[in-house]
Amino acid sequence: MKKTVIGLLVISLILAAAYGALAADKTFKMAFMPGIADPFYFTMEKGAQAKAKELGVELIVGEYPKAWGPESQVPILEALAARGDIDLIFTAPTSSEALIPVLKKIHDRGISVITVDTYIGDGDYTKKSNYNFPLAFIGTDNYLGGKVVAESLAKMIGGKGKVMIQNTNPDVSSVVGRGKGFTDGIKGTPGVKLVAHEYCLDNQEKAQAQVGAVLQKNPDLAGVFGVNVFSAQGAYRAIVNAGLTGAVKVATWDATEDLINALKKGEVDLVLAQKPGEIGSLAVEWGYKYLKDGTKIPDKKLVPGFFVFTKDNVNDPDAQQYIYSK
Amino acid sequence: MVPSRQRRHLFQCLDTICIFPDLSAMKNKINFQRLVLKNWVLIFLLLLICFFSILEPAFFSIRNVNNILIASTAVLLLAAGETFVIISGGIDLSVGFIMGFSAVSSATVMQFLFAKGAGYPEPVCIIAGCLAGLLLGLIPGLVNGILVARFRVPPFIATLGMYGIANGVAMKICGGFPVSFLPPLTGKIGNGYLAYYSSKSGLSLFQKPVLTDRADILALVRLVPVSVIIVAVLLIIFGLILSKTRFGQHTYAIGGNVDAAIRSGIDVPRHLIRTYVISSFLASCAGVLLVLRFTMGNHTQFGATYELFAIASVVIGGASLMGGKGTIYGTVVGVLLLGSLEIGFVMIGVEVFYRYIAVGCILIFAVLVDQVFPDLVHNE
Repeated sequence: MKKTVIGLLVISLILAAAYGALAADKTFKMAFMPGIADPFYFTMEKGAQAKAKELGVELIVGEYPKAWGPESQVPILEALAARGDIDLIFTAPTSSEALIPVLKKIHDRGISVITVDTYIGDGDYTKKSNYNFPLAFIGTDNYLGGKVVAESLAKMIGGKGKVMIQNTNPDVSSVVGRGKGFTDGIKGTPGVKLVAHEYCLDNQEKAQAQVGAVLQKNPDLAGVFGVNVFSAQGAYRAIVNAGLTGAVKVATWDATEDLINALKKGEVDLVLAQKPGEIGSLAVEWGYKYLKDGTKIPDKKLVPGFFVFTKDNVNDPDAQQYIYSK
Repeated sequence: MVPSRQRRHLFQCLDTICIFPDLSAMKNKINFQRLVLKNWVLIFLLLLICFFSILEPAFFSIRNVNNILIASTAVLLLAAGETFVIISGGIDLSVGFIMGFSAVSSATVMQFLFAKGAGYPEPVCIIAGCLAGLLLGLIPGLVNGILVARFRVPPFIATLGMYGIANGVAMKICGGFPVSFLPPLTGKIGNGYLAYYSSKSGLSLFQKPVLTDRADILALVRLVPVSVIIVAVLLIIFGLILSKTRFGQHTYAIGGNVDAAIRSGIDVPRHLIRTYVISSFLASCAGVLLVLRFTMGNHTQFGATYELFAIASVVIGGASLMGGKGTIYGTVVGVLLLGSLEIGFVMIGVEVFYRYIAVGCILIFAVLVDQVFPDLVHNE
């Protein structure tokens, strides 16, 4: 009798343990660590949340860092990893060098890593290096985007004229890539000349003043490329204030509601939208496939395309999904 | 018994209250030197303008002067508030984010009233929004002041805390997105000019003439931006408060020697609270002005470092971080120096990296002049 009871107890304990293990396998826990509090990452989170809900993944979102940089991001990231119950982290590294050891440590604890939007090292995780441990880089090709903008802007101004780049920070890989892509992109049109490349440090007032100054020097300026929300807002405001709406074409990056509205009013002529929602969604989807079946991501790289808004398609119902929203 | 060194310092403080250069100092060489050193920032600014105008004739034009003044409006207000705080011996790191907080709150109110379309005319939405921004913008200053004056938190820490809080609240309100879709009239006020002159349509007040030809648009002369008028009025009011009133003199006294100020019967805590509220108020004015200029409310980006530019302008303008010294006039010249440098460098095409170096050099030079020639600069 006693033996039977003990036997039953042992069996039930084993069963309970097994059941517990199975249950733990059922829901994966992923963490998303954004780069900075801005519309782009908010939209990325939205895409990730939707996919996580669909796949039954539990998604934990790290606190949004207030400033761009490892000093702000690393403490939050390490706290996330220290929870100990997370299977996969996808994050936008705020420094291509400083985040290598931090993410490596997380990887060595058995947590898989995906980098989104920005990368570590040079972003190529297929070759032999000390930064090839992430499962993949999922993000926009900023260089290519800059080129797309350059070619569209060159066409808009009729293949000739002076253009300028209103950039933000000379030390952030994404916007530097856009600037470089643009610079190379206009080389395809010999009539187009780049007359200035300014940096406003995310200060739209400064962006406005800089575009105003370049316009003062080059009254025949034909086009401006604002590489992110703040440089774009400053740039189009400068052109509107000069009374040259439409005469100077304004191309911008990132589809906030305000920029889309400016496009509708004709104050902006082109808006290139990245697909942050899709980046978030892809990270969860491929992370899930990897955790569940061990499926590898081809070439360790996924690049969702862009969507280019112009006056002609801005009201299309299909286009509305690419506008960044809360 | 006030020790003689302290007494001398008090006199120095009183001297700096004089806001205009003393022309009678031309009498002899020493006085001439003193005049040059005392006004070196202004002289440097004039030389800089000559330099840029020679290299790039387009620099010397009404349009460009407007550009520089408009680009300086926000920093002028922030630096004016910072001047009060620095003279009182403190520092306010939160000004840039109070500006963003006020911009976001006032834009949110405008957007709410306007979008509801409940029969509110545009001016009502705008006035309500501006008032909301200005009133809410007083709160961070009040908190800063109470922390510094009543609880003796070092100003650096108290306002550094507010730096994060103000921006956190601002981002919470706007969700990281610019608050836009405001009444169109906002932009017309913020970007308007007192008068326009065009050879085609003649002179017109407030109303921008409709021009279609690019050459005509570029030739349009615009006189006195509305935003600059607003800033000038505020600067004159606060410049007079600092230089001509008892409140201003007490500010210098507290910064010069806080013990002496207490002994002479000044209610120092109360005065300091008011000082931080002034700083916060001027920052809110800057925020509301940004809403009027951009027809949207943005939170301040951490990378924008408004507070550092404001502090640098105040120091270049002759104030001492030890307190007791500085003028609104000096600060205005300091802001315009940095503003002209920025625009001038863009126009002559100097790479951005050299600009950072130049601003750094000028800042250090300003403090050096102060250290090397303290008597020439500050004693009559």
